[in-house]
Amino acid sequence: MCNFLYIHIPFCISKCIYCDFFSVPFDKTLSEEYVNALCKELILKKQNIKFLKTIYIGGGTPTVLSEKSLSQLFKCLNDNFNFSSDIEITVEMNPGTLDELKIHTLIDSGVNRFSVGVQSFNDNELRFLGRIHNGENAHNTFKLLKKYNLENFSLDLIYGIPGQTMESWKFSLENAVNLSPSHISTYELTLEKNTTLYKLIKDSPNHFTMLDEDLIIEMYNFAIDYLSKNGFEHYEISNFAKPAFKCIHNLNYWDRGEYIGIGAGSHSFFNNVRTSNIMDINEYMNSINSNVLPIKESIVITPREELKEFIFLGLRKKEGINIKKLISSHLVNEKLLNALIKDFIDTGFLELKEDYLRLTQKGILISNTIIVKLFEKLEI
Amino acid sequence: MTKNIRNFSIIAHIDHGKSTLADRLLEYTGALSEREMMEQVLDSMDLERERGITIKAHAVRLEYKAKDGNIYILNLIDTPGHVDFSYEVSRSLASCEGALLVVDASQGVEAQTLANAYLAVEHNLEIIPVINKIDLPSADPNGTIKEIEEAIGIDCSEAILASAKEGIGTEEILEAIVKKIKPPAGDDNNPLKALIFDSWFDNYLGVIVLVRIFEGRVRPGMRIKMMAEGGIFEVSRVGIFSPKMKDVHELFSGEVGYIIAGIKRVTDTKIGDTITDADNPALEPCPGYKDIKPMVFCGFYPTQTHQYENLRDALNKLRLNDSSFVYEPETSLALGFGFRCGFLGLLHMEIIKERLEREFDLALLSTAPTVVYRVTKTDGEIIHVENPSLLPENYLKIEEPYVLATIFVPSEFIGPVLDLCQEKRGTQKNFAYIGKDRIKVDYELPLNEILWDFYDRLKSISKGYASMDYEFIGYRESDLVRLNILLNGEIVDALSLIVHKDKAYYKGRELTEKLRGIIPRQMYEVAIQAAIGNKIIARENVKALRKDVLAKCYGGDITRKRKLLEKQKEGKKRMKKFGKLELPQEAFLAVLKVK
Repeated sequence: MCNFLYIHIPFCISKCIYCDFFSVPFDKTLSEEYVNALCKELILKKQNIKFLKTIYIGGGTPTVLSEKSLSQLFKCLNDNFNFSSDIEITVEMNPGTLDELKIHTLIDSGVNRFSVGVQSFNDNELRFLGRIHNGENAHNTFKLLKKYNLENFSLDLIYGIPGQTMESWKFSLENAVNLSPSHISTYELTLEKNTTLYKLIKDSPNHFTMLDEDLIIEMYNFAIDYLSKNGFEHYEISNFAKPAFKCIHNLNYWDRGEYIGIGAGSHSFFNNVRTSNIMDINEYMNSINSNVLPIKESIVITPREELKEFIFLGLRKKEGINIKKLISSHLVNEKLLNALIKDFIDTGFLELKEDYLRLTQKGILISNTIIVKLFEKLEI
Repeated sequence: MTKNIRNFSIIAHIDHGKSTLADRLLEYTGALSEREMMEQVLDSMDLERERGITIKAHAVRLEYKAKDGNIYILNLIDTPGHVDFSYEVSRSLASCEGALLVVDASQGVEAQTLANAYLAVEHNLEIIPVINKIDLPSADPNGTIKEIEEAIGIDCSEAILASAKEGIGTEEILEAIVKKIKPPAGDDNNPLKALIFDSWFDNYLGVIVLVRIFEGRVRPGMRIKMMAEGGIFEVSRVGIFSPKMKDVHELFSGEVGYIIAGIKRVTDTKIGDTITDADNPALEPCPGYKDIKPMVFCGFYPTQTHQYENLRDALNKLRLNDSSFVYEPETSLALGFGFRCGFLGLLHMEIIKERLEREFDLALLSTAPTVVYRVTKTDGEIIHVENPSLLPENYLKIEEPYVLATIFVPSEFIGPVLDLCQEKRGTQKNFAYIGKDRIKVDYELPLNEILWDFYDRLKSISKGYASMDYEFIGYRESDLVRLNILLNGEIVDALSLIVHKDKAYYKGRELTEKLRGIIPRQMYEVAIQAAIGNKIIARENVKALRKDVLAKCYGGDITRKRKLLEKQKEGKKRMKKFGKLELPQEAFLAVLKVK
């Protein structure tokens, strides 16, 4: 039985140039039919869900939905499931899609964590990224949140934007900190195929270039230092939180906990099987409406894969992984492991404290290489 | 009997239409119906077709009813079309009394044609000039005839104008073969004397030997002896290719055909060797036999050590069919266990590598090709060095193989061609105009210098018009040194090379720079150094990898992230580990990219 629920809302007003996540342009009628389907899927999966500890509504842009649709979704949740008393209910939102009425609806529905996709406070950068808001809209959104005395809100920032300088990155971080959020995520802008950004950089390399690697590292290190100084704990590669405000829902992913995903393109992990839902919205709805689970792929996790997940997900967290647990899997050679760890510790990429193995700040930067090396040497 | 036999070859440059002409002859004489014709029957190996060259010689018997009313037996002996296989060509020509010299009327004489035509002249063959592709708008038959007369010095007044593609001139060619080429001499009653001009291994029949009978006869049951190699075997079958394999009771003097005699190894049937009757041997073999030695060597290593046994088996199988290719186990500090392999030339090397990868599904790492150096040690002993890392520290002298290269080039490109030969340490031996706007130059060049990019550069500076052929002329003393490459202070033996002293600094700098671009960034900084002895002559650094991290991992799609990491791990499998370093295959061939 599962306590963690993810709901995917694949609609956006417009697509940002760097985004390769699954989303389609917002359409009111389609979104209403979609929410009907979500409610049906919730009921189809009801028996797998015990009481809920977290609900995470992500996208896309969940706040493009009408008040009516949002209310309908939460009514369905309230009618069918018990909530834990300290439940974390997160909704992702973008400045520019939020008004007083919508915030009201969300608060009334029990939403207690707001994740705001600010990305930058520099209007030129926002325009370049194809965001629909500007810095002022972002400030207004937070004014609204504050008006309701909401203390648990997070904001996302992006660094490594073509044209971005160290100064403008500092400017965005300062603005963010000044709003006193409980949580900040900082993501490096990565170039994904099939995005407008990718085409832009391919076609006119003289006008647009990705930032120099050294500058990106400097930005990342600055964020870690600056946010730590301002009371944020760097608890995962890209995430920072004030004490007691880590995202419980996301931690569950990195701890390999079970979760149920609802909606087109969502993912679930349950009974040692990882499944993904059909991405196409119409196919998804057709499947639901014929009472068939809209499964695209399901993969049974072998002990070997389990171990790999344990390593690469666990090392994302600041607390790291328990090596006793690694050894007790009986899939790795203890001697080999110890030699390997010693080597990484000697070279400053890993550190070991009370059985917990974690990446150093130097190690985080090349975490893929280190993880792959662990896979390779441990023959998993 | 023999007066109705004609044995002939076709000499032509690549793409001048040899295979198409052979097809037409087969078709015209009814050896194959049009329906049966697979395009270009003679090139049967896939690789040969793809590369458009003939690697192994073949022989086909055609029956032709001439205008004089008699039926003639025409044996077409095919020749390989690449300089790597020039010895095989010479043995095929030695099996004939005549040759068709096919020249593309739009291209003119090329170096390859010339070299083979000279060979044919040396063997006293009757040469029938055929001016091919006369149907092309750019054809210049008169100019081409003039070129042949000037370059080769043969009379072209009766040259046949043809288009193999259109079937023009086929009958004239057949008539000329009958009228001009001498029937074979020889006597069926003399002791057997058969020249081997090809042999290969067949999984069911063992070794099949292709021979031209010069004297005597051969039939099943006979005991035969290889005059140079010494092996004695009992003949089980003899026959001809028409073009399908067909057994006959006996092969007579003057004929061309196959012998099967329970031979297990192709190395027992060296091309150029003479087969005789073991119980009534000939006094002397056919002239011209050479035990031919590989000219180019490189190391083959499996990228994954567990494939070592498979590689050995595969090499063994290829060797069954190719006696000119040799291999022996070698160990490299950097690469582990592998094989040092010897080839007739670069093309031969590429073919073998491609076959190993394609037919045996092996992932191979090959070291840069090298020639064989002759080294006189301080104690006077002479050794042959096929692996640069095995060059002794001290020696009295070192000699390298030289070739005489013949280059044909339109006069407008002669400047850059001469510069190139100069750069490659060449000495000009001859310079002559052929026709009014083409030049033939002869250069003596170290083989080492033309191994790598010479031919490609020759082609590119002449817009593809230059052609080249070369022959080995012997060893010459040179001022050579070993250039070592060090990674993080350790010599990587598989990257060592032998270079001329005057070029050592330049090569060292270029090579380290190339390696810097090829070696991926690793967890630690990599220092690349080039050294002669203890002296470091060049240095480059590959900065340590600084950033390799997945920024986002949320939304629950864990499987995709896992697969990304697994893919990264798979990519590393193709790298060769050297201590803490991982090197891609390109690193071992970087030297080829240095001009």
